[in-house]
Amino acid sequence: MSAPQGFLRRYVFSVDHKVIAKQFLFAGLVFLALGGFLAMLIRWQWAYPGRPVPGLHTLLAASDGAITPPVYQSIFTLHGLTMIFWAITPVLIGAFGNFLLPLQIGARDMAFPRLNAWSFWTFLLSGVLLLASFFAQLGTSGAGWTGYPPLSGPTGSPGVGQTLVVAAVFVTGVSTIMGGINYVTTVIRLRAPGMTWFRLPVTVWGLFLTSVLNVLFVPVLGSAALLLLLDRLFGTAFFAAGAAVGPRGGDPILYQHLFWIFGHPEVYILILPVWGVVSDLLSFFGRKPAYWYRGTVYALIAVTVLSALVYGHHMYQVGLHPLLGKAFMFFTVLISFPGMVLVMNWLSTLWRGSNRFTPPMLFALGTVFVFGVGGVTGLSLAGLLTDIYLHDTLWVVGHFHLTMAAAVFLGSMAALHFWFPKMFGRELNSRLATVHFGFTFVLLCLVFFGQLLAGWSGQQRRLADPYQYDFIKPLLPLNKATSHAAFLLAASQLLFVWNFFHSLFRGKKAEANPWNVGTLEWTHAPSPPPHHNFDTIPTVVRGPHEFSTDEAKARGTDWLPQAEGP
Amino acid sequence: MLAALPRDISADGHLISDALRRGLVEQAVLLGVLVVWLVLALVRFRASHAARADRGDSPRQVLTTLGVVAVIFLVVDGSLVTDAISATEGTLWNFAVPAADPDTVRVEVNAHQWAWDFRLAGPDGAFSTRDAPSDDDVLAWNELVVPVDTPVHLQLTSTDVVHGFYVPNLLLKTDVVPGTVRQLWFRATQLGTFEIGCAQHCGVNHYKMRGELKVLPKAEYQAWLREASKVARLGADREDVGARWGWAWKERPR
Ligand SMILES: [Cu+2]
Ligand SMILES: [Cu+2]
Repeated sequence: MSAPQGFLRRYVFSVDHKVIAKQFLFAGLVFLALGGFLAMLIRWQWAYPGRPVPGLHTLLAASDGAITPPVYQSIFTLHGLTMIFWAITPVLIGAFGNFLLPLQIGARDMAFPRLNAWSFWTFLLSGVLLLASFFAQLGTSGAGWTGYPPLSGPTGSPGVGQTLVVAAVFVTGVSTIMGGINYVTTVIRLRAPGMTWFRLPVTVWGLFLTSVLNVLFVPVLGSAALLLLLDRLFGTAFFAAGAAVGPRGGDPILYQHLFWIFGHPEVYILILPVWGVVSDLLSFFGRKPAYWYRGTVYALIAVTVLSALVYGHHMYQVGLHPLLGKAFMFFTVLISFPGMVLVMNWLSTLWRGSNRFTPPMLFALGTVFVFGVGGVTGLSLAGLLTDIYLHDTLWVVGHFHLTMAAAVFLGSMAALHFWFPKMFGRELNSRLATVHFGFTFVLLCLVFFGQLLAGWSGQQRRLADPYQYDFIKPLLPLNKATSHAAFLLAASQLLFVWNFFHSLFRGKKAEANPWNVGTLEWTHAPSPPPHHNFDTIPTVVRGPHEFSTDEAKARGTDWLPQAEGP
Repeated sequence: MLAALPRDISADGHLISDALRRGLVEQAVLLGVLVVWLVLALVRFRASHAARADRGDSPRQVLTTLGVVAVIFLVVDGSLVTDAISATEGTLWNFAVPAADPDTVRVEVNAHQWAWDFRLAGPDGAFSTRDAPSDDDVLAWNELVVPVDTPVHLQLTSTDVVHGFYVPNLLLKTDVVPGTVRQLWFRATQLGTFEIGCAQHCGVNHYKMRGELKVLPKAEYQAWLREASKVARLGADREDVGARWGWAWKERPR
């Protein structure tokens, strides 16, 4: 198989999974910057409500740089949507899924390379729709990322901005489904000879299960978005209710069911790949086999199955039948069982290891901690009783940011620092990366602990000026401190930006296997891999975590490759 | 104080605050174990320590892992579930309690962008509806007046979008959804004025959807109610159909 010639076919309209991975990576990082910028505006508003944002006098000309309530609601809506659908999804699943799946299972490309390219271009189209909504009359969506009707319906949110955003979510869903089908098929059909299910790197398991969930549940989101579009554009009333609609109305709760049937699996869609990466990296840099590998895999599968049965915990306060509420609570706490198995296995992998504190390892360890905090703080939300108080407070925000933002961000950073040499053929500056890790980890913790504290004190989410409430006024110093931590966090990301671009062009040339690990992308392909990945498809003879075994020691090393030979 | 739960002013709010505090302690303990284990592992087993190829999959190791997880699960998750069921079904969501009490004050709440309308039935005990007007209904805008030490039973709906009725000092909250009637009941034990908030994003002025809960001594409440319904009767306008948004009280609404 020879590489296509010409710049356009090689780098733009490519069907090579490695090129598409980089396209997703760069697009995702751009949206990550946008989502992060919007987060800073929210934090500014909570520290200095109504005070003009420095430097935004022209962007928000009507208010001379101040964030007005309509602008504020668009900011938090688009922050959530951008981060989930246009930053985390493309980076974690689009970039790492694409890059790693074929290389780690020993395939030359994805099962459907063209579909893969279509998935990226569809994603880009959805991004254009999203950005276009900013320029719509009446502005972009302000109904929250969950887009609950009737607020997101035609009377709640008139204006084409909301329509564009719903359409963008639908289109990005199409992209995700195309990707999901491709990943699932690739892992099932294209594993190299000898690459049995229980020899797969846990990273592949995480990405595979994520893709299964995507294929099953993103269509449900699509149906919700489609019905909402019909309500908005063609006067149907699937989700309309209340005095304005009369007896003709539908049911706004129906939307919530559809949304969360997707929405809860979505949080596992975003975290499963991270769990996989962390499971592998702790073993790689502890120079020790992953503790109870099969248990980890079974735990991931259990979470995948259970994730479909717990979505009702988002709806405890809408008036579910009591039996339904109890059932959802039961399944929700049940998820903590495989969750704890996972954490126990991670900690046991580190125990008696030979732990090397490289940047990827540091990020992986940081992930373990923030995920731990995010996990335990979720217990109070899983309980019907304690959720009555915490529902819709910043406790919820802190909890899901620790899991979906902090853990996913640190996990993605672990992956990026680990696979950067393979992706780009150059090494990142590890001292700079270590400093970046230190700032990021500490500041992420401060920011989201600050949110937990404000939520514990009862502060509701999504308030344009929280201090309208007397009981929130004493929280101003806390919120201000949290905001300043967030600003520092954003500033410290410049370390990463500089390291990334400098290393991309000037970094030390990477060897084929700088980390001395046994998975196929490191042992059987140069850095970066050629168009066809492997000269000959390797035959796999063992698992991915063969460290410090007697056989390895007999060979005078501490690791064994998954496949022998060149 | 960096952060604290709101002062509980109700007879049953402690069910929630106690569970919250107990949960927080359990979470801190779990997190403490995680941190100690993590730090010990990283301090003791650095690069200089030679790793052992321990796969952790012997029957003994697997049983240990599952056993530890099962114990934590039964203790922490078990108490969480049983507490939640007994407190919600026994008290907080048990509307048979206010239904059985002859003193119970019933209030209908209509949420809309961006205010709370409260309706009390007045001396005749009937709520004014579109089809059956009742002139003595007491209507209050953003102000819920209740007697102390008396069950207050709220039924809530919304005319436009989803709102969230939230009283921090009662530790209570419920979504308020158009097309359905939600319920809440409480017994205030302390006099004073306390804040009511909207918890669910409901549009541009969500942050301004603030009301007040006024808890009065019983006698003072009765006097206030008599006076207010007298004023209501005087100002009643049968042409104003929009003001009759109430509904015939049902103990088990849809
Ligand atoms: Cu959930
Ligand atoms: Cu509201």
